[in-house]
Amino acid sequence: MKLLTIIFRKELRDMLRDRRTLFFMIVMPFLVIFLIFNLSMRLGMDMEKRAQEKELQVAVFAAGPLPEFINMLQVSKKVKINTTVNKKEIEQTVQNGRLDFAISFAEDFSETVDREGTNEVQIYYKASTSENEMALERIRKVMEKYKQQLLERRLQKKNMTAAFVEPIKIVEKDVSSIREKMGQRLGGMLPYFLVIFCFLGAMYPAIDLAAGEKERGTMETLLVSPASRLQIVVGKFLVVTASGIFTALSSVLWLYLVFRQSRMIPPGVLGVILKLIEWKSLLLLFSMIIPLCAFFAAILLSVSVFAKSYKEAQSIITPLNIMIIIPVLIGIFPGIKLNATTALIPILNISLATKEIIAGTISPLLMVEVFLVLFVLAALGLIFCTRWFNREAVIFRGV
Amino acid sequence: MIVVENLTKSFRLSKEQKKEKVVHAQGNKVDAVADVSFSCKPGRIFSLLGPNGAGKTTALRLIATMLRPSSGRISVAGFDTVKEAGQVRQHIGFLTGSTGLYERLTPTEMIEYYGRLHGMEPALLEKRKGDLFRLLGIEEFAGRRIGKLSSGMKQKVSIARTMIHDPQVLVFDEPTVGLDVITAKSILQLIRQCRTDGKTVIFSTHIMGEVSLLSDDLAIIHRGRLLYNDTYDAFIRVMKTKSLEDEFIRRVEEA
Repeated sequence: MKLLTIIFRKELRDMLRDRRTLFFMIVMPFLVIFLIFNLSMRLGMDMEKRAQEKELQVAVFAAGPLPEFINMLQVSKKVKINTTVNKKEIEQTVQNGRLDFAISFAEDFSETVDREGTNEVQIYYKASTSENEMALERIRKVMEKYKQQLLERRLQKKNMTAAFVEPIKIVEKDVSSIREKMGQRLGGMLPYFLVIFCFLGAMYPAIDLAAGEKERGTMETLLVSPASRLQIVVGKFLVVTASGIFTALSSVLWLYLVFRQSRMIPPGVLGVILKLIEWKSLLLLFSMIIPLCAFFAAILLSVSVFAKSYKEAQSIITPLNIMIIIPVLIGIFPGIKLNATTALIPILNISLATKEIIAGTISPLLMVEVFLVLFVLAALGLIFCTRWFNREAVIFRGV
Repeated sequence: MIVVENLTKSFRLSKEQKKEKVVHAQGNKVDAVADVSFSCKPGRIFSLLGPNGAGKTTALRLIATMLRPSSGRISVAGFDTVKEAGQVRQHIGFLTGSTGLYERLTPTEMIEYYGRLHGMEPALLEKRKGDLFRLLGIEEFAGRRIGKLSSGMKQKVSIARTMIHDPQVLVFDEPTVGLDVITAKSILQLIRQCRTDGKTVIFSTHIMGEVSLLSDDLAIIHRGRLLYNDTYDAFIRVMKTKSLEDEFIRRVEEA
């Protein structure tokens, strides 16, 4: 135990003096979170603003004049009626962007309205951008208002009220709490950061403490010291695990601070988000991060000690990043929930459990299952790593 | 004292080695060390001489417990390298040409780390560290990060790391490779001092000048097998050529 402590303390000191590791532990989580959060919020807000404020070029095609409809369109003052486009060129002009929308009423529109029949009105637009999708909502609202006006006139003629055509009025009552709703959204984002940063935080120390040591020749001198292979492996493993945990915690802290300092989130929503981050949830998340980082540390150290050089270790480990992201992304898909089966799948189980922890809906039994799976995996990883370190063909590969 | 008896170490051939068609390979395997026996006595310097890839480093790694023998037995300071590897490592100091130092630590931190790993009491560690630092002239840069030191300074720290626990047995694996003349000379002086102090010293090299300067006993290894194993003086007496270098080449070519 004494030798293990000596090795752990030395490796920790060595790691904390490595600028690259410190960058990955502290600076990178901040940069990534700050940039992702600010960029996505700003881009989203700017796009919505542009879609709302954009002066839409709209052409209306009908056999006769439709003054009421045209008035409705122009009420917002952000719609310009284009009268220069030929009906035969509708699709082309919308396609090339000269028109944002073209609304085409049937030739017999007025007659059909008088006959109390149903008309088809075609709206041409380009749905290839989110901005256009948002602008479509403005046109839909006007169409809906016009439709309602025509309907009311018909009902008045027949001395009927609106209730006649609406025997059922559906009122949806969402009983989920704000915490549950926000938990599903925020909880989808959180595991992404946690898993990625656990991995990235453990990555560089693992490469440095195994492949790096082989390359520098320090592994040889360490192997001749009285410390056993097990003590050497466990000492390195604990430091790499600690680095992963610290990086994940640093990312949570940055996430909290970036949210708190943000002026783009309305104060009401911000209050709800900050209330979600309660001690119980944080403790549950933290307890999942420990075995996850231990598992990553074992895998990364095993790969790193197998590599002949720092460079080779990097080239093997970098593609692992993508493999880690896949289960996290699956967890973000709607409809995939934490159950007895998904709780068995590493990383996916963390992704799903995090959502439920934040939403406050996690089942204690499933939580225990997730813990067990993660701890078993971490233990197996450590056993494998220790055996791997004992193999001469691995530890002296390329030395 | 080091006693090596009928030592063999086999490795599986790597893909690169298979392509290179290693001459003494047997199927998928190669004996890096084959049925080797010798002994190194306290107060004497044993030189292990051989061309590149002869098996010198493998033999030294086996002695230092880094590798396990395929067959045969090694005893270091009376301890078996397989059954009592921990005890062997307590009594051994190992120095290679690559300094094997942690660049982000200072010489003080580095030496204290290895002293603690060898279970040295703080007072003894402090005294021994002070003595070594004075002897090797490390004091003036003891607080600087190793990464910022010159190669000569690094080699001094490396020597201090090897000697901090005052080992009975010292293993030097091509200790002067890549070093400048002044640093190489100081290492050779250290090896001689170890002999004076009654320590058992084994060192591998392919530099003939070092062999003639240091050796009490000599072994020539080629393709894992010993071609010669006796005293240095006996070797000089039976030489069929004019120089040590020519005699070494003659024996290797004849093998």
